[in-house]
Amino acid sequence: MFAQLHDISVNFGEVRALDSVSLDISPNQIHAVVGENGAGKSTLMSVLFGLNVNYGGQIFINDTRKTWATPSDAIKAGIGMVHQHFMLIESMTVLENIILGSEPNKYLGFLDFQLAEKKISNLLETYNFSINLHQTVDKLSVGQRQMVEILKTLYRSAELIILDEPTAVLTPAERLDLFNSLQDFKNAGKSIILITHKIDEVIANADHVSVMRAGQLISSLPIDGTSQTQISEEIVGVSKTKSISRKKIKAGSVKLNLSNLDILGMPQIGNAFNLEVKASEIVGIAGVAGNGQSELIEAIIGLRSSKSGFIEICSRDVTGADISTRRDVGLCYIPEDRQKRGLALGAQLSENASISSLVSKAFSKGPFLRKTKIRNFTEGLIKKFDVKASSPSALASSLSGGNKQKLIIARELSLESDVIIAENPTWGVDLGAINQIHHELLSMRENGHAILLVSSDLDEILTLSDRVLVMFESELSQSFCTEKVTREELGKLMLMKASDKKEQKKINTA
Amino acid sequence: MLADLFDPAFADSVARIAVPILLASLGGAICHRAGVFNIALEGFILMGAFAAVLGTFMLGHVFWGVLSAILAGIFMGLLFAEFHLRRPGDAIVVSIALNLIGLGLTTYLLRSVLGVSGVFQNEALGKITEINLPVIESLPVFGSFLSGQSILFYVSIFLVILLHYIYSRHKLGFWMRAAGENPLALKTVGIKPTPVKLLALVLCGVCCGLAGAQLSISNVSLFVENMSAGRGWIAVVIVLVTNGRPIPILGLVLLFGFVDSLSLRLQGFGFPQQFTEMMPYIASLVALIFVSIRRMKNLVGMRGYDNG
Repeated sequence: MFAQLHDISVNFGEVRALDSVSLDISPNQIHAVVGENGAGKSTLMSVLFGLNVNYGGQIFINDTRKTWATPSDAIKAGIGMVHQHFMLIESMTVLENIILGSEPNKYLGFLDFQLAEKKISNLLETYNFSINLHQTVDKLSVGQRQMVEILKTLYRSAELIILDEPTAVLTPAERLDLFNSLQDFKNAGKSIILITHKIDEVIANADHVSVMRAGQLISSLPIDGTSQTQISEEIVGVSKTKSISRKKIKAGSVKLNLSNLDILGMPQIGNAFNLEVKASEIVGIAGVAGNGQSELIEAIIGLRSSKSGFIEICSRDVTGADISTRRDVGLCYIPEDRQKRGLALGAQLSENASISSLVSKAFSKGPFLRKTKIRNFTEGLIKKFDVKASSPSALASSLSGGNKQKLIIARELSLESDVIIAENPTWGVDLGAINQIHHELLSMRENGHAILLVSSDLDEILTLSDRVLVMFESELSQSFCTEKVTREELGKLMLMKASDKKEQKKINTA
Repeated sequence: MLADLFDPAFADSVARIAVPILLASLGGAICHRAGVFNIALEGFILMGAFAAVLGTFMLGHVFWGVLSAILAGIFMGLLFAEFHLRRPGDAIVVSIALNLIGLGLTTYLLRSVLGVSGVFQNEALGKITEINLPVIESLPVFGSFLSGQSILFYVSIFLVILLHYIYSRHKLGFWMRAAGENPLALKTVGIKPTPVKLLALVLCGVCCGLAGAQLSISNVSLFVENMSAGRGWIAVVIVLVTNGRPIPILGLVLLFGFVDSLSLRLQGFGFPQQFTEMMPYIASLVALIFVSIRRMKNLVGMRGYDNG
């Protein structure tokens, strides 16, 4: 399908979210659209998919001008979209989710399941997908859910498929499968729009790349002859990237100590955990998501209880202590899910910024809050961390993803706690912000804080950590010195039982 | 003694107690599954019951009474939609308002239109036709449960089955489930959730209207102020406990009808009234405890937030 977006402009209130963006999409191509958070990629796609109808400019499909009243018009014209947050009904089966909204009619609106199943089976065969159509979606893995979303678009005979950040939540193996499928779609004559942050994926898989920045289209070039550095420079604009280097510091005393900790409700039955994090040290835990990392973190911060063993923070036993006691002793937490755990989206920025320290004298006088102090404090954080926000009284929900994350990190680090737990701190955040977050974590390390970094991004772990451990099936490997271990070795461990000691020894001596 | 207890009259009374609650629960379930938190069932039923009496009295036949009850239910559904769907009213606040309107408006109209207060009774009021099923009526005990009931009894059983199939095999059922679970997902496949929710409210109005008609022109032939007497709230509980699934609703409603009839019966056997009147509520509590134990087990399996 040939799709042309011509001079598209969108205003959100007084903010110009898109400024005369023109984009040409050709068939048989994977067209990557890259840019930082808030650059306007998602807004542009919501225009193309009919979710946003208040725009200036024109859309042409196969040289005919089109206007959409709702997404269903776009769907009828052959456009499909796989949203970043999946749009699935969890209690329904795979089959029911696929046909929802385009149900084959038998009589009086009752559905023809046989026809649907036949049609979907054909699709599965054509594109080599394997999935149980009668499984309910709540039991599927993230990768399988994405497959359902893709099948939804194929079932509606989409000729242009938009994928919004499709790899952010996938394991490396699932990523590979996804890109193989995308190549198949491309060879079948479909157009693919791939929205992503990951430039290496663009280089490896796309045919064409368009870079957006601050609501404008910066460049649109074929991938041949375009280099990774060129793209990253265009994304960031003026060179904001500072090189990351860890200063050599000697680690201090043990700040966080887990000893034979047996945690309730781990996904697999694992051994007890032993882990030490010292002052001026970053300890990284690598591993594919879902191997017990979140349970481990919940146990440390006090959301989850343990069967036996103990947790010490700053040499004080906090095993049975509640969350606020642990935080008082010296713990702060940067959660992975900023929407649910990190922020109260319906509350103001100042309320979100001060919520960790409301009980402190600085912000309260008896039962009353010191509003001015809180406001000044929030303004300070916003300035220091370069959070793009209109004012401290703006709602947290008005921030873009990366800015939400910056606000959380600003708040938690301002507590100056001895122990910092960071869970995928740069997940879904743009390049500029990633750099900044990494620098902040490193400077906390230099100031003597103990940091436990849990991340599914191996590069992040290797850049920041002094020591690294791998978590697989609810077990921690032994710890490796970052300098003495390679990406490949860690990658192997991420898919291998930690109890397989032979392999570990081999790596260790290597 | 058991034979005295479970006689044909007992079976008949189980059915009569069950029908209005069943109809109201089905209405509530339709809303619940479509994501409309409608706890105004009490008000809906009351309006239906009053309209049934008014329609029958004014137009001279129970057919018109039933039709008026349906229209009154739809009116309440549309009122709910106006404040909750078209304007951003909170569902709980709207529900409380509609419950109060139901009680206030019927009491007022009873005085201003029918000219009485408290109770309206008139010889012109008939009863909804009762159907005797050949063969089945001669079955022991169950005969008087299954046969000789008002048309609405059979309608409500049919609705349970119909609703079950609509949720599993009909596109409207699909859309309503999607509107309740993830409206944005429905929107992105091109179906607007709001009209789906509106439809749910209208269908809920129809069911609750019928529930009211069963109360006022079938179980008895009169209207009493506040004659719904908490049945709407019982229906709300049944909907929440069963998560709006039609077949479990039928089961729970029959259990409630059974216990309620039993409590009436036991009074006749000399049990203290204070004790027997507790029975239906104790049964509800026991049912709730069972359900919550099962749900808690599921939750612990999923996520171990065990210390709050």
